[in-house]
Amino acid sequence: MSVAAALPKRKRLSEGLTVTQKVFVRSRNGRASKIVREHYLRKDIPCLSRACDKCPEIVVPDAKSELPSFVLSESPLELPSIGKHYVVLDTNVILQAIDLLENPDCFSDVIVPQIVLEEVRNKSYPVYTRLRSLTKNSDDKKRFIVFHNEFNEFTFIDRLPEESINDRNDRAIRKACQWYGEHLEPYGIKIVLVTNDRLNRDAADKSKDSFISMSLFDYVQALPNGDEIKDSIPNFEVSSENTKDTEAKSEFTYPEYYSTSRIMGGLKNGALFQGNIQISEYNFLEGSINLPNFSKPVLIVGPKNLNRAFNGDQVVVELLPQSEWKAPSSIALDSEHFDVNDNADIDGDDDNSQVVLSDKQRKLLTQDAILAQKSNKVQPTARVVSITRRSWRQYVGQIAPNSVDAQNGGTQNVFVILMDKCLPKIRIRTRRAHELLSQRIVISVDSWPETHKYPLGHFVRNLGEVESVQAETEALLLEHDVEYRPFSKKVLECLPPEGHDWKAPETLDDASAVSKDPLLPKRRDLRDKLICSIDPPGCVDIDDALHAKKLPNGNWEVGVHIADVTHFVKPNTALDGEGASRGTSVYLVDKRIDMLPMLLGTDLCSLKPYVDRFAFSVLWELNENADIVNVDFAKSVIKSREAFSYEQAQLRIDDPNQQDELTHGMRALLKLSIKLKEKRINAGALNLASPEVKVHMDSETSDPNEVEIKKLLATNSLVEEFMLLANISVARKIYDSFPQTAMLRRHASPPSTNFELLNEMLQTRKGMSISLESSKALADSLDRCIDPKDPYFNTLVRIMSTRCMMAAQYFYSGAYSYSDFRHYGLAVDIYTHFTSPIRRYCDVVAHRQLAGAIGYEPLDLSHRDKNRMDMICKNINKKHRNAQFAGRASIEYYVGQVMRNNESVETGYVIKVLNNGIVVLVPKFGVEGLIRLENLTKDTGSASFDEVEFKLSFTQATTGKRRDVHVFEKVDVQVRSVLDQVTSKRKAELLLI
Amino acid sequence: MSRFEIYSPEGLRVDGRRWNELRRFDCSINTHSHAADGSSYLEQGNNKIITLVKGPKEPSLRSQMDPTKALLKVSVNITKFSKTERSKTSHKNERRVLEIQTALTRTFNKNVMLHIYPRTLIDIEIHVLQQDGGLVGTLINGITLALIDAGIAMFDYISGVSVGLYDTTPLLEVNSLEENVMSSVTLGVVGKTEKLSLLLVEDKIPLDRLESVLAIGIAGAHRVRELMDSELRKRAEKRVANSTN
Repeated sequence: MSVAAALPKRKRLSEGLTVTQKVFVRSRNGRASKIVREHYLRKDIPCLSRACDKCPEIVVPDAKSELPSFVLSESPLELPSIGKHYVVLDTNVILQAIDLLENPDCFSDVIVPQIVLEEVRNKSYPVYTRLRSLTKNSDDKKRFIVFHNEFNEFTFIDRLPEESINDRNDRAIRKACQWYGEHLEPYGIKIVLVTNDRLNRDAADKSKDSFISMSLFDYVQALPNGDEIKDSIPNFEVSSENTKDTEAKSEFTYPEYYSTSRIMGGLKNGALFQGNIQISEYNFLEGSINLPNFSKPVLIVGPKNLNRAFNGDQVVVELLPQSEWKAPSSIALDSEHFDVNDNADIDGDDDNSQVVLSDKQRKLLTQDAILAQKSNKVQPTARVVSITRRSWRQYVGQIAPNSVDAQNGGTQNVFVILMDKCLPKIRIRTRRAHELLSQRIVISVDSWPETHKYPLGHFVRNLGEVESVQAETEALLLEHDVEYRPFSKKVLECLPPEGHDWKAPETLDDASAVSKDPLLPKRRDLRDKLICSIDPPGCVDIDDALHAKKLPNGNWEVGVHIADVTHFVKPNTALDGEGASRGTSVYLVDKRIDMLPMLLGTDLCSLKPYVDRFAFSVLWELNENADIVNVDFAKSVIKSREAFSYEQAQLRIDDPNQQDELTHGMRALLKLSIKLKEKRINAGALNLASPEVKVHMDSETSDPNEVEIKKLLATNSLVEEFMLLANISVARKIYDSFPQTAMLRRHASPPSTNFELLNEMLQTRKGMSISLESSKALADSLDRCIDPKDPYFNTLVRIMSTRCMMAAQYFYSGAYSYSDFRHYGLAVDIYTHFTSPIRRYCDVVAHRQLAGAIGYEPLDLSHRDKNRMDMICKNINKKHRNAQFAGRASIEYYVGQVMRNNESVETGYVIKVLNNGIVVLVPKFGVEGLIRLENLTKDTGSASFDEVEFKLSFTQATTGKRRDVHVFEKVDVQVRSVLDQVTSKRKAELLLI
Repeated sequence: MSRFEIYSPEGLRVDGRRWNELRRFDCSINTHSHAADGSSYLEQGNNKIITLVKGPKEPSLRSQMDPTKALLKVSVNITKFSKTERSKTSHKNERRVLEIQTALTRTFNKNVMLHIYPRTLIDIEIHVLQQDGGLVGTLINGITLALIDAGIAMFDYISGVSVGLYDTTPLLEVNSLEENVMSSVTLGVVGKTEKLSLLLVEDKIPLDRLESVLAIGIAGAHRVRELMDSELRKRAEKRVANSTN
């Protein structure tokens, strides 16, 4: 980035401050510009060691007039070979081994020099945030601190002429170590620099400075518990010591990545493209990438072309010559069954066939490719030439049993098969291979050198026995990045000190209550309204309640009351931060991972019956036709008269003997909700379906024993309609007040390409089609897709169309223009989430914005700032998606457990026909599975696949007759649950009968 | 994502200052004694400006003449090379520059005793040689110094300083890196009082935070005043010594 410049002069200012200039040359857009920045050096940067008696005298308070806390222990870890010591970390160690640093059993009293922190931040922001959170919670066991060596007059160094920036930074780290070593010498504390950079170590040893330098491996070995944590040392196998393990070193090499300059140039002149790669669910050697110029994703086929990309990585690709374009493969392939014994070389696309193309030719190729996509026959293909950003995280998997050498008791290389089947297996080195067999383990990926067929990783942690409820639950939470640890002490400190005894004040002008909460008089007292809540049975976090009352003018006053979570969750508290980062509650079959602590979710915020609770109310005046005459918003205090389940509410409404006012109100609500729904459907709201099922648990053993498809009652839609109405009203209000930063939710209309395949299948098989002109047309055409012989067919089409839809997303209003705010599925022009603040963070933000909009209290800065809102939206979108996936995975696991005991023959539907198998959906269990050709027939060679007719014909194994299977066909399948020997994953296996 | 920690949890800013510290402040007056009646050269951090005051003099245009008081005219010349990347256009008639000129004229109109120089023009010319954030504050200080050098009667010093707001922490005197990522205000403070002759708010800033921002801004401006005052007194002593010899 920069070239050495003439040494700048230092100038002494008053107050122990010195100023110097940082001068460097930056190249941007091919032009060099000289940058000069001021750099102040100071003497008041403390060492933060409790042993030190000089530094406490020099410290100065910060803007909140707090003094820095001295963190490093006066009696740190004492090793026989070193003595009492603090550890200084180098950048490479942090980047490679952040998991190890987070391990509570090793690495305490650690100093992170500022220059290292900066380097980490530039290389990997996620690692930086993890490191920062280590230094922030430094008062506990870990004791990490940041030492600002660059601003300290004693440790700042100027770059020498001809010195590279990396060498200068290494020297700065050594200088900081030296300073610390000398500074702490009187107190008998040594400094150990842990670095994996040999040159840096050599330089440190050569100068015989006042500190010791060691490699990470040597340091861990010196620790008393070194043997246990050695497995967690990351695997960066490039050194020569490991050439002896030939097992993984095949002749196989991946193509080298392009240089940065070539990538930059290629992207600029249109020869290369950048995007996020998605690996096919059915074939782990086939990926696709969405590129802005192309109407459809571009295919990437084969390991050489994928070139070590992981699912979700941001990559740069180059189009392949026309001769290598192909149709998307209709073969199912997953890594777990592929190359199980792994010694064969895969015959990827031949490297020597690669044609050298000029940039001009490449541009022509791009045009051809776009045209070819339209004609639909062959698909352009591409290959990965560079990876911009890895999506690596920690993965859950288990050791492949056949990769373990039973004789070998020592350290060995084994393969770990990951739960995510889009990913390759990972090679790790461990000494505990035998112990870890048939355990779910967490591993982390370290590197993927081009000479290795599989990526290298290291062991992080053991979750427990495969198939045990606890290990599987934890595995799926980890796999979906759900934070499930209990709330920290800091978070719990933000809760009201009264705990469960908290009570809403009797009157709103009570002086003592007002002194505690000056906003209290602004609340409206709605305790006289006949409010009730309707929820699923057994619901404890009640976040909404309703009431309706006839007005003298014949209209109805309808109120939706939402738990006032923001009264307890104030912005910029630890509680708020935790909620924001969790983003949503996660519902698994057997447990719930809360977004907010139990005390709030199930008690103080929950709108329980018979007690006073704070609420945020939306009050409408609706006429008989359910049109809004008037809308009003207010923070309120309410008293729910009753908490119904859906069934109870239905019974009460249907019972003619019930003639009290509450029941009248409920009947009015039901009547109005039917009108609202009618209007919504007429406007073109979609009624989509998903194969949702519910797992019943045995109440004593809590073993799952039955699966049931979810039922819907009229009262379900009663609540739903009013929630939708509230969300829409609130969305309009907050958009009105905060046109740039209102928290909203949109659902884009699906691009027609998404429906192409489904439409083609419908056309050829059933002579039907789905219209995409508008959501209304879509809804109507879905209604027309009826097979008179099979009532389930319509649902099936709905399930399949749901999968063609875009996902709804949260956004802030400044991010899109008004016309793009539309919620396609609900057919409204603006929408938000307001009604479940206990379990969704979006609603918390919407509550605060609404409170600001009605002048209840000023809106916090973070919800008025576009950048901050962007971060919030991105996070809750991600968390929302992950929560859905986690919920589904949990159901899948339990359905597998149920089926374990009941093997049965069920009706299924073919939803996809592939070259070597069919995908069947079984509605009763909501499972879908691939039936491979090998399991359909003995003679795989005789099978034929008709792409146009969506037909697979084969000789059936059992009867010996020829059989054709079409898409949408109703088939009988035998469902049973099997434990896969390779992956030890239990899943539904389907067999065609 | 910014490449820097704008304000680290340890309380240090990108350039190593703490939240309430001013940048380096170097000034001198009477630097261009032949070219103008009053002049100053000011370096505030990496802001470097030359200010020339010509006048009170007879205006070249009759229309500029006011029989009751002097007319104050400020022109700001931002050189093409003042930023890291050389700009292609001259900044002469840019809206932003015109706005700055108006703001500066209004700031000093009330402070200079214009009524004692009727029918004259006081022409202030500023050349920005290098800029690094918080420019308007620096311009105010440059003008104050040059006006004093020109011997034009004023009620008091006006000292300018910018304050940024990072999250909830006010940061005194933002540099260009900081200015780009946070909202900031510029104050012109009259002498040792808490009177503001300029409050320039170009970004959104929450009202409930403004008080703490103003408090640190005023304290910073007072410190700037002291720095200017000591330089002027040093200069004056030297002159007195020269003239008595």
